[in-house]
Amino acid sequence: MNVQAKSVGAVRYVGTRQPRKEDARLLTGRGQFTDDVRMPGMLHIAFVRSAVARGRIVSIDLDAAREMPGVQAIYTQADLAAVPVQMLSFFFTNIESPVTLLADGRVACVGDPIAMVIAESRAQAEDAVSLVEVVVEEETPLVTIADAKTGAPVHPDRDDNIAAEMGDEDALEAIQPLLDGAAHVVSTRIRHQRIAPSPMEGRACAASPDGAEEMTVWMGCQSPHLAARYLAQALGMPTGAIRVVARDVGGGFGLKNIPWREEVAVVVAAKLLRRPVKWIEDRFESLTASSHAREQDVSLSLALDEGGRFQAAWCDYACNNGAWPMGEDANIAVHMFMWPAYKLPAYGFITRGWYTNTMGLGGYRGPWAMESLVRETLLEKAARKIGIDPVELRRRNLVYLTDQPHTSSMGIPVEDITPGECLEKLMANIDYAGFRREQAEARKEGRDLGIGFATYIEPTGSAGSMAPMTGETVQLRIEPTGKVVAMLSTHSQGHGTATTMAQVIAEQLGVAYEDIAVYEGDSAIGAFSPGAAGSRQGVIAGGATWRAAEMLADKVKVVAAHLSNASVETVTIEGGMVHIAGAPEMSRSIREIAEIAYGEPGRLPEGAATGLEAQYRYQPPPMTMTSAAHCCMVEVSAETGFVKILRWISAEDCGTVINPGVVEGQIAGGLAQAIGQVLLEDMPYDARGNPLAATFKDYLMPSISDVPDFEYLHANTPSQTIGGMRGVGEGGAIVGPPTLVNAIADALAPFGEIDELVLPLTPARVLDVIEQRDVSGTRAHLDGADVAAVVEETNPAEVVAPVMAAGIDGDWNMVLKTPMGPQEMVAHFDADGAVVSGYLQAPEGRQDFSGGTLSGSQVKFEMKVEKPMKITLKYDLQFDGDTVSGKCKMGMFGSATVTGERV
Amino acid sequence: MSEHAIELTVNGHCHATRVEARTSLGEFLRDGLGYTGTHLACEHGVCGACTVMIDGRAMRSCLMLAVQADGAEVTTVEGLAEADGTLHPVQQALKDNFGLQCGFCTPGVAITMACVTRDNAGVEAPRMEDALTTAMSGHICRCTGYQGIRRAIRQLAGAST
Amino acid sequence: MKPAPFDYVRPASVGEACRVLAESGGGATVIAGGQTLMPLLNLRMSQPFVLVDINGIPELKGVSRVEGGTRVGPATRQADALEDETLARHLPAFITALGHVGHYQTRNRGTIGGSVALGEPAAEMPATAVSLGATIEITSSARTRSVPADEFYVGPYMTVLEPDELVTGIVYPDWPDGHLVLFREVAQRAGDFALVGLVGALALEGGAITRAGIAWFGMGPTPIRARQAEAALVGASLAGIDAEAVARAAVADTAPFDDHHASAEYRRTVGARIFARALRETLDLRSAA
Repeated sequence: MNVQAKSVGAVRYVGTRQPRKEDARLLTGRGQFTDDVRMPGMLHIAFVRSAVARGRIVSIDLDAAREMPGVQAIYTQADLAAVPVQMLSFFFTNIESPVTLLADGRVACVGDPIAMVIAESRAQAEDAVSLVEVVVEEETPLVTIADAKTGAPVHPDRDDNIAAEMGDEDALEAIQPLLDGAAHVVSTRIRHQRIAPSPMEGRACAASPDGAEEMTVWMGCQSPHLAARYLAQALGMPTGAIRVVARDVGGGFGLKNIPWREEVAVVVAAKLLRRPVKWIEDRFESLTASSHAREQDVSLSLALDEGGRFQAAWCDYACNNGAWPMGEDANIAVHMFMWPAYKLPAYGFITRGWYTNTMGLGGYRGPWAMESLVRETLLEKAARKIGIDPVELRRRNLVYLTDQPHTSSMGIPVEDITPGECLEKLMANIDYAGFRREQAEARKEGRDLGIGFATYIEPTGSAGSMAPMTGETVQLRIEPTGKVVAMLSTHSQGHGTATTMAQVIAEQLGVAYEDIAVYEGDSAIGAFSPGAAGSRQGVIAGGATWRAAEMLADKVKVVAAHLSNASVETVTIEGGMVHIAGAPEMSRSIREIAEIAYGEPGRLPEGAATGLEAQYRYQPPPMTMTSAAHCCMVEVSAETGFVKILRWISAEDCGTVINPGVVEGQIAGGLAQAIGQVLLEDMPYDARGNPLAATFKDYLMPSISDVPDFEYLHANTPSQTIGGMRGVGEGGAIVGPPTLVNAIADALAPFGEIDELVLPLTPARVLDVIEQRDVSGTRAHLDGADVAAVVEETNPAEVVAPVMAAGIDGDWNMVLKTPMGPQEMVAHFDADGAVVSGYLQAPEGRQDFSGGTLSGSQVKFEMKVEKPMKITLKYDLQFDGDTVSGKCKMGMFGSATVTGERV
Repeated sequence: MSEHAIELTVNGHCHATRVEARTSLGEFLRDGLGYTGTHLACEHGVCGACTVMIDGRAMRSCLMLAVQADGAEVTTVEGLAEADGTLHPVQQALKDNFGLQCGFCTPGVAITMACVTRDNAGVEAPRMEDALTTAMSGHICRCTGYQGIRRAIRQLAGAST
Repeated sequence: MKPAPFDYVRPASVGEACRVLAESGGGATVIAGGQTLMPLLNLRMSQPFVLVDINGIPELKGVSRVEGGTRVGPATRQADALEDETLARHLPAFITALGHVGHYQTRNRGTIGGSVALGEPAAEMPATAVSLGATIEITSSARTRSVPADEFYVGPYMTVLEPDELVTGIVYPDWPDGHLVLFREVAQRAGDFALVGLVGALALEGGAITRAGIAWFGMGPTPIRARQAEAALVGASLAGIDAEAVARAAVADTAPFDDHHASAEYRRTVGARIFARALRETLDLRSAA
């Protein structure tokens, strides 16, 4: 039963700017961040970190450090190895690089943790750190992607520096003729700088051993549940043995998706030492030794017909994974989401992640954001080249609602997106023609104004296709006092989930917002969810809360109806009062109902459970799409190269808006990060592998004067989820960069094109375009770097296939490198002449195949799979004695490499 | 390393204790006295999260030693609201305008705004807005894009005239 | 990020401070506002044995008129100096430049002497001292001396100050009444050290420039006096000034660095432009008056 009756004039909470529940404690200094946690006997940790980017550790001398006052223990990897650890990616797959908590015989980047000092105070720990003597036999580091292509493997046990690879170079054969034959071809190259995520609170972890098998961990994380699951799995402990608490966290932005080396080391240290320990990352560590993000080198070519309609595109993408990525990554999502919002018949790509001797790659708000940056900037470049207005060019190619359902060139079904509608809403609310007139007038006065647009779609609220991306659980109860308590698996690092979820409850249950207490931030509360990751909490937890509140309201109504001898349909709840239609004298407060439900079971309907509780776990559709169109106007100073942002208008469609203040806050925060990326932030490395922005004096975070007032338009097209929400956490950081770059490029157009976009667009780089010379020195620097890059990539030698003497029959252990991590399986082959059949056995189950072919030592076969979506896997394997290698084409996921050996 | 006896007032409470010379005021307030509302986010004077009021002036508590605060009157974010819990106008303005998200930078922001509004009490709205905005350039917020902070500034400026 | 251990002393007089400095044999560092020193201590880039706090020495604070100039005590807070009427009347260039130093919160603690004595090449106050022809008063247990500001700086964060010496005052000479302030800087964010900037003063009489003092910041290892530009300006009539030519001459004296925020070429290019613009705007302002 789902009683939807809502009395006219009921107080609305969803869609209103309710003040945040989190603010009272945060504004008065009463929050509890990890560094605020104090335990009796707690010790403090500081790490000894490598000052050298690459080399063999010859010796670590701890003698002097051990003598320092307050020092209780110093651990190296030799000590931590007593506790076996398997580091995992966000997808709970094993990390492929030989990563250990502390350096194990070699260092692979500056900042690599080598030892941990545990002392009575952080200052004492740092005193001892400065006395640890580490001798490293230094080797020439690989710093750039170009270095990685030619240099000796960062990890000596690997063949090359390719950390991850997807896509298919051969597909260019099909795309190239389309490019060659097109009326117009435009190309671009973007070198995206390295970003330090830089939450205001760095990483933080405190661990307290509670007993032989139990541990309480306070951690700055994005989901206590995910952190607890990760720690338990990585350390081989029972899941319940680790409780993670994260009351308040000072920003995450993807960096804190999973515990990483230092946090896990803290937990292991607490296990070994059997004392509470705490590590608070300082800003120097945060900038140089927290995982970094972006640093990509991407080329994209797009063919258009005479009318500006997209024909085909080819992309070559490379990303610096550093030495110890939090998951090797070729960023397949860039390619999956580059084109679904546009009608593009043919797309091909090759995409790789490269190991280098730099800090590892981690998550950062909209990790696949490059798809929007490279597409939208190329699109406006094409518009200028062809002479079509950039808005008109979008109109000719966007997938509008009337074009849906639509299938993208990579096979993604598109049926619920509104980028075109957002663009129309945006255009209806800005005076575009007026701005163009103003721009023309300004040019006459020597002032250079520009306007830029970007449209995009974003997969949000993913659930069910990847291990950690699950549904959400909500436990709700009305206490005997009539107050409502919600226990959630959500987590806020600024998201305000306690606020938005309370709004949903207040609206659905008919109680006052003030009467709702929301508990989250503790793995002992609620159930598993990955918390803040992939713009999902509003969508999934919102839906779960929505339904749980309805269920609880139904229960209240059943009790009330029974007490009043009325039918359930006549019961309404409003403002904490339960009313019976036509019988105002029978109105009761929720508290009265609750007192009866808890204390007088005899008055409840026959068989009804006592108390007023409801629990719901919501499994939403696999993906919920958010769309947006943004516009930005700038003035560029030809004198200094400085960019001033004049206006910025966002038209987004995040479906049902629970709290506009929260939604706009998410958009604004993402846009500020976008502005930082385009204009200010940069974590460069020198040739010896030293990070050059080690303080906030050098790593330039946007300040108040760098960010304009944003204007918002909300499209509010409900999604298919309960409640109709769409995710909004990452969008600003995805659509923001191309919007701003396009505005700058428009202002610079009379001077020239930004041939190659090197970020950030510092004032000096803006002058490069205006003056058509290398003012910034960027060209000279990159040309030097590219010389090193022009070396052939290692091509696997073409093997003339001899017939396999030993045959292929039998079992083979194979590893398929999928975008969600390596997948291990056992392959069984039976060759009957040239025909091959057999099966693949993975932990998820076994699947048979037949009709494969054997030619020499080459085997080809196909296999259809249903999960995560319907695709045909096409295997192409080369056997050589007892080893096998090859490729598996996985439809939209491109190609993955396969390696294996005979069992 | 020298150790020093110091006496100071924090949020109206007198504290007499000993500190090591190298302990920063921010660290001392947090670890020595338990005023954990003051946050250390960069410890090199750029981000502003640790800003506290010392003898009425907003200063970085990471750029000052505890021993240098001997005899000082310090106000931290814990000391801004009224005893009955009524929020200080700057706290209320930040709350009204979604001026914070994660809240880590907020204590310093609130202290700066409290000082600037007090020093400029009664000035015209544009001047107050300008003074507050200029002073806010001494704070980094990673979450909000400064939108709610700017709205809070306008609310405070409007209220002052 | 915690400092290495040190002893802390808070002398009550210059004599006492100098005695501590002398006795510590180079191991002591003076702290005034600490707005630049404290980050260096926290990062352990500076590890003194003794920290000598001069905030308790009354004679090092405040602004006073002296023969032919204005004397600023090194421990004078930047925020106090900004509000000082004597400085506003006699040294408008000083006030303009000071308004660009750091932030509201750091000016509340930071001192004039700290900024002048530290010698950050991209900072405003060292260049201001050089441009206005200030003299740095220096004292140690052994001797007292005065050094012209443009001889005080020898490299980034390097000055002629000996380890046992203390800056006791900065004396800025008087400039003629009604002299003009030349100031412009380009910084990536409000309150940042400049990518390139210039500061100075111009005195005019009868439509001609009679005195010029101009210095660059962010254009080399120290503040750099634009000597060629000063020479070109002094004696020139307003009508005869080619701002672009003077700016080129000014840039000719510089030696900027490449760093990851801006190239030397950017600093030279934009330096010449802001110099010319500052000159034009400052002199137009005058002629319009």
